[in-house]
Amino acid sequence: MMEDSSPLLPALLMVIGVGTGVWMLRQSWGARDAHGRGWVIGGWLLIAASFIRPIWALGTARGAFIALALFSIAALAVIASGYSIKVARARATRESLAPEPSDRATTKGRETLRWLLAGPIGMIAAMGVGIAWAALAPGEQQTRLVIGGLIVPVAWGACMAWTLADNRILRATAALVGVALVSFSAAILKGFA
Amino acid sequence: MTTAAPKPKKPKDLMSRIPAGFVRAVLRGHSSLGLAFAALIYLVCLSGSIAVFAHEFQRWESATAPQVTGVTPDAVQTAFEGAIAEGGPGVEHVYITLPSADFPRLLLYVDAGEDRQLLADAKGQIVPGGDGAWTGFITRLHINLHLPRTWGGFLVGLIGVALLSALISGILAHPRIFRDAFHLRLGGSKRLQEADLHNRLGVWALPFHIIISLTGAFLGLTTIIVGVLGMAMFNGDVNKVYALFIPAPPVDDPRPAPVLDLRPMYAKLPQDGGKLEYIFTGHPTEMGAAALFNVRHPDRLAGTDSYAFRRDATIYNEKRAATNNFGEDILASAGAVHFGWFGGGLIKIVYFALGLGLTYLAASGVNIWLARRRDKGRPAPAWERAWAATVWGQPAGIAAAAVAGLAIASTPAAIAAWLVVSLTFLAAAIRLPAGTLSRIGRLATGALLLLAAATHLALRGGIGSADAMAWIVNAALIAGGLFLILWPLRRPAAAPAAQPAPA
Repeated sequence: MMEDSSPLLPALLMVIGVGTGVWMLRQSWGARDAHGRGWVIGGWLLIAASFIRPIWALGTARGAFIALALFSIAALAVIASGYSIKVARARATRESLAPEPSDRATTKGRETLRWLLAGPIGMIAAMGVGIAWAALAPGEQQTRLVIGGLIVPVAWGACMAWTLADNRILRATAALVGVALVSFSAAILKGFA
Repeated sequence: MTTAAPKPKKPKDLMSRIPAGFVRAVLRGHSSLGLAFAALIYLVCLSGSIAVFAHEFQRWESATAPQVTGVTPDAVQTAFEGAIAEGGPGVEHVYITLPSADFPRLLLYVDAGEDRQLLADAKGQIVPGGDGAWTGFITRLHINLHLPRTWGGFLVGLIGVALLSALISGILAHPRIFRDAFHLRLGGSKRLQEADLHNRLGVWALPFHIIISLTGAFLGLTTIIVGVLGMAMFNGDVNKVYALFIPAPPVDDPRPAPVLDLRPMYAKLPQDGGKLEYIFTGHPTEMGAAALFNVRHPDRLAGTDSYAFRRDATIYNEKRAATNNFGEDILASAGAVHFGWFGGGLIKIVYFALGLGLTYLAASGVNIWLARRRDKGRPAPAWERAWAATVWGQPAGIAAAAVAGLAIASTPAAIAAWLVVSLTFLAAAIRLPAGTLSRIGRLATGALLLLAAATHLALRGGIGSADAMAWIVNAALIAGGLFLILWPLRRPAAAPAAQPAPA
């Protein structure tokens, strides 16, 4: 009986490769002239090359997911190594920060509708898209069903992001109701075969 | 005298071209969503990070049980019959987990009037120590928040969707997120420090965050997706959807019969380098009994062959992983990818670290919102207290559940301990300021981790434990407990060279 290949050696090489690649990207970020482009190309090439060894040695899918997890750890280690210490200042509010959230005027009714769109209505629309995919897309039945199932959380998440941000709430309502009607109708008319 | 040539302007990157109005609107949505789901995302991420080590915790809890590295078919049959006898009348299913390098135990789960989890030794004799109260607590907290399974699973799936949505809006709401990808400024204003940590974690661990939230949402929403699919496409018959993935069991025949004999089935498994991992049996004391053997092949995420047998040891369904289509491969690997159970101890540690990072991402989002309000002269002290009680009440509650689970060997006792500590922190938030709550929470969590290790040493084999994992877990608990207790007492770092403040 065979066991899984040990990921230790490929992981070590991967972490070194990705760490160096991210360090090169950081060099490009620090460079204020044309030299930066070489660091960028070299960094990304090295990162891409670092994925090859785990995928080859540990199995295609298994190696790819191991590499993805290690990528984040190696990159965060490089970022953490480059931290800078700032001195707290009395007037810290002058720090340059991300933009402020919009202060849109709203009513209780509009906010309720907004959360209904982000929640149940978005879910129904997303399910419609996923089920329409399962019914209409080419391919084997199991693949269509699973891809359709994966579409549901992505589409629902996108609906949430959109409806909670969009100031034109009626436009979002019309779009989501329309998507739900069209997708479910198409799926039911076509059927699953 | 030479004049310096003007610096060439760097072209604007794609993200910087997003209109400011759009960014502010998306940021509003990102904040609303984050605040609405922050506590639940935090709890699910924290429990999920710990649940990565479910097998290790189960070994820790069952440290007194014998280590089993391999079993014969006769031993499995003995254990199977012993488990059915322990389960009493009305045993519906018995699930057998065979020993592996990751989990050197022979574990049997009996689904009867009262569900039981049992351990057996290498000869198949049932031995004490199989309760797994703490492991059951932490995995069920993550999977369904200890709510009824369907509703809890749906809620966790919804939390996965909210996390996925927050990742989408988080990227769109921060046009400088890639331009600032290497900034990590600590020690300045709290808001800047939290924002840097939040954004750096958000960008560089994005592949992990997407994988976890997508697979989590998919697994949690499966029941409702299949239900809607069944209604829309199969006249409400959801079994037709499941039948595409799971072999239908033999025709039900409830006539009583001797305990199902697994040994002749063993003899029919191919010797092709695979490793038998699980045996699922249904109605084992009825004529219509069946058994499903899962045989796993190395270096594949979805590498499990399954062989389904009738009572007379004839195969009625055989499914080789090598013949899986793409959809079957995705479905078979989703659980392992979500929990980090595909790359041994190294990947579990990586998943734990990245999972804690995701947990911090949820916490820091609210911290940034609170700091922004304070900066603007509109502090929200009640929310600050409630958030401190949540952030520190949960680890303290989970550590208390470990102590109760070990001491009383019961999952309900672990749930009760977690609830009591969580509610105590929330009640304390009515009076105590956020800083005090954080200090108490840190100390309480540290002390409870030490107490969990002490309880284990006293009641669960402790120093005499043969399983090295018990020692590793205890060492980790002691190190974690001491870190939490001693960290606030550290000497402040030497002040860096003074930087001139801007005019």
